Parts: sequence; structure tokens; C-alpha cells
Amino acid sequence: MSENKFETVSSCVDNYIQQDESFDEIIKDSELSDTWGRYQLMGDIMRNDVPQTLQLDLSAKIAAAIDNEPTVLAPKNTVKKQNSFKARIVSFVKPLGQVAIAASAAGLMVLGVQQNNVVQTDEVAPIQNIQTSPFIGIAEPVSFNYQQPSKMSQKQAYIEQQRRLQALLLDHKQQIKLTAATNSEVNEVVEPAIETTPEHKVESLPK
Amino acid sequence: MRTLICVLLLSTGFSTIAAEVEQQASTWLNALSQSLKTRNFSTSFVVIKNNHAEPYHWFHGVDDTGKELEILSLLNGPRRDVLRKDGVVSYIEPELPPYSVETYQVSGPIPSIFSGDISSLEKSYNFISLGKSRVLGRPAQIIRIVSKDKNRFGYRLWLDQESNMLLKMSVITREGIVLEQVQFTHLEFSKDLPEPLKQLQVTDLPHVVDVPKGIIDSDLQWKVNWLPSGFENVRSNYHRLSITKQATEFMLFSDGLVDVSVYINKSPVNQREPEFVMNGATGVYSQVVKGVEVSIVGKIPSMTAQAIADSVSLLSGAKRP
Repeated sequence: MSENKFETVSSCVDNYIQQDESFDEIIKDSELSDTWGRYQLMGDIMRNDVPQTLQLDLSAKIAAAIDNEPTVLAPKNTVKKQNSFKARIVSFVKPLGQVAIAASAAGLMVLGVQQNNVVQTDEVAPIQNIQTSPFIGIAEPVSFNYQQPSKMSQKQAYIEQQRRLQALLLDHKQQIKLTAATNSEVNEVVEPAIETTPEHKVESLPK
Repeated sequence: MRTLICVLLLSTGFSTIAAEVEQQASTWLNALSQSLKTRNFSTSFVVIKNNHAEPYHWFHGVDDTGKELEILSLLNGPRRDVLRKDGVVSYIEPELPPYSVETYQVSGPIPSIFSGDISSLEKSYNFISLGKSRVLGRPAQIIRIVSKDKNRFGYRLWLDQESNMLLKMSVITREGIVLEQVQFTHLEFSKDLPEPLKQLQVTDLPHVVDVPKGIIDSDLQWKVNWLPSGFENVRSNYHRLSITKQATEFMLFSDGLVDVSVYINKSPVNQREPEFVMNGATGVYSQVVKGVEVSIVGKIPSMTAQAIADSVSLLSGAKRP
């Protein structure tokens, strides 16, 4: 009988699995599990696959470590967390570039407006250069003359765009501040009601 | 049969748990709003966006007569202060001479609805209690404010378990990317008013400006046909942008938490590709179609902004500007 058992182990090791139950049997029976381990080790030695430091009682150590592990009382939650974590990694990879671009654009947005005046004075000079250089007769590649104005107009278009978008952003913030006033009636439910007293001097919007 | 019963039991169990979690979350949020309205506190926080941090001081208190006092100031760069005495809020900014507005809401990095009636957001958002964490050296409760549709960003709040105060907030896309964060770096409660608020008590605020209620809808030439559910028109008018002096038709929509501005004006160019830039969570979307420039600004995803812009149409009977 026991001989037969060992045979089962042997065939399992050799990947000739007979029945699924045989695995369960091996796992349950400590003697058989030990045999399983030994057979695997033999196989490893024969294949010259043994690590330099042999830890023969690895399974026992792992079992002890698992025993020491605190019991998790809500397994459903942990599974969920793992899933969401995985999903997050996947989704992170794709749109990160987009956001990075968007963020840097926004960073530039502020810069563009702040340096607006400086850039505008700068742009005059290169245009003059382009006009005068043919008269002086410096041999320049044709493409140079072409590139310069297109670069300039590109830059200018970019600055113009930044200015436009910045203006919208600023106005949006401004409008929210002013809008808070128009729906103050909503707040009277929460707060003690105020009367719009005529004492408040009413002025027109600062320009 | 047994499995069926199991499934039934589980599902009813889950739904009651879900309801409980939601209940718990809204209780937390109501407690937050109560703390923001009634406690005396001195705080510092930083707003983290676009890879840089903006530091703020924020003081709040209630005086002997029950009036709320509040100061919010940006600590870096040119002075930007918001002062509030009960129902009057003053803005001190580099762009404009100081002015005051009659309101209870302070417009800053923290949504003003947090100190108002948060439960009004339940139309468009779900509140979910996410568990516990540690923020600013305190045990914190995490609450998520999740949009019911795909058209909005989500919010995550970390609330102090002891005082229910806000300790941290992030604006997150549906994919889980953090766009903007508010992190408190200092929080102190006091029995008396914080010192800056005592000074505010004796300070005169700038004059209150008269905010026109906005023009009536029939005067508008353009109409926004689509918005995510829950957004309502707060204000419409016709004004000029301060930087470009561009005259524009303007509509402001809000779902309580998020404000979305729609700008419509004539453009010198006939056609322009859509542009979208972001400043933290605030996106600016702009496009020109057939000589009409439509721009959308607000803390919404670019897809939503585009859908809103595409839905703009000329009101029947109105002349093209």
C-alpha cells in the first residue's frame, strides 16, 4: 500500500499525473510530502540544478511563517484592493504622457504670459536681420531665410494662444468670485438671513 | 437552491453595507461642513499642481455675535488675500483694485460647498467611505466623492477623525491620476479668535461692488444644448476679457462642486483646431468653427469640455454676431 503511495508521488514528480486526488493525498500526508520534496531534490541534483546553499526545510519555514501571519478577517476587501491596484498601474501607463504634456503646457502657459513683454521687444530684432542680411550679401543657405520667419510666426502664434487661454482662465476665476454673490439667497437657508441693507455703498465694477 | 439563497443573502447584505457606507460618508461630510462653519482655526496648506506648490494661510473664526470671519492668503508671489466678514467677502489681488462682494462663499482652492450644504451634491455624486489613513500626524478618515457619470472628476478627502476637519484633498481623474492636491501642513484650533481675525474685526473692508444679475436668457444669441446632468446655469452676461479685451457672450454653469464657464464670440479666423490645456485640474478648451470661437473653462475632463463646446448652437431668431 505504502509502496503504491510512493509510486504515486514518483509519477507526480515525473508529470505523469493519474488523478487529482493523488495531489491532495500527498499534500495531506506529511510523510508523502517529505517524499515529494526528496524526489524533487534528487531530480534537481541529477539535473545539476541545486543552489549553493541548500535549505532543506524550506516548506517547514514557510508553514511557520504563515502560522505567524496575522489572520485577515476581510478577505473580500483585500482581493478588491489588489485588483484596483493592478488596474491603476495599467491605466497609469497610458495617460501619464498626456498629463505630463498638459502639465508642461500649463507651466509654459504662465511663463508665456509673464514674459510676454520681453518676447515682444525681442521679436523686432530678428525680423530686421532678415531684411538687412540680403543687402549685406552674406551667403546664407536659402532655407535659413525661410526658417526664420516661420519660426517667429510659430512662436508668436504660440504666445498668442497662451495669452488667449490665460485670459479665459483668469476670467473664469474672476467670474466665479463675482457669481458667488448672485446666489447668496441659497445660503440664507444655512446662515441667519441677512437683509441687503442700503447702507452698503454700491459701486460699479472696478475697471 | 442553496446557492440561490446564498446569492440572495449576499446581494442584500452588500446593498445594505453599501447604503451604510454611503450614510457614514455623508455623515462625515456634514460633520466637515459643521467644523468649517463653527470652529476657530488657524491652518496652513499647500496646493500642489503642475509640479509646483502654492502655500496658503487660512484662518476662520466665529465672533461673539455669531458672525463668521475668514482670511485666506496666498503666501508666494504677489499678494492675493480673501477677507470675509460674515456676508461680505473682499478680494485683494494684483489684477484689480480691492473690491468686495456680498456673499458667504470664499472662492479659493477649497470648494465653498464644503462649508455649505454638501448633501445637495448627492444628485450628481456618490459619497463613499474608503477607510482610514494617517495625514498630518493624525488618524484620518478617507471619503471619496465620485461622480455618477463619466463626465466629471472625482474628489478624495482625508478628514481628521477627531475634529472632522479637512486634512488633505485631491482631484482625481476616473483613471486614478491625481491632477491637483491640497495638503494641510498645520492645523490648530483655538477657543478665542486667531490674532489675524481680531485685526480683521477692526478693519474696514473695501466697498461692495454691484454685481449685475446677468442678462435675461432671451438676450443671449447662443445656447448650450448639452451639459452633464446636475449642471445648472448660474449666470449669463456679455462682457470683455480683461487681458485680451475680447468681447464675449458668457454663461456660467455649476453642479454645486464644479463651475464651468462657456465663452462664445466671433473670431477673426474661420477655423481653428481644438486646443486644450490644463492648470492643475482646471482645463481650458477652445475651438473655432465657422468663425465662432467657443471656449470652455472648468474642472472637467477634456472630453466633457469638447462635448459641451460641440453642443453650442445659435438660438433660433437670433442674428449672428
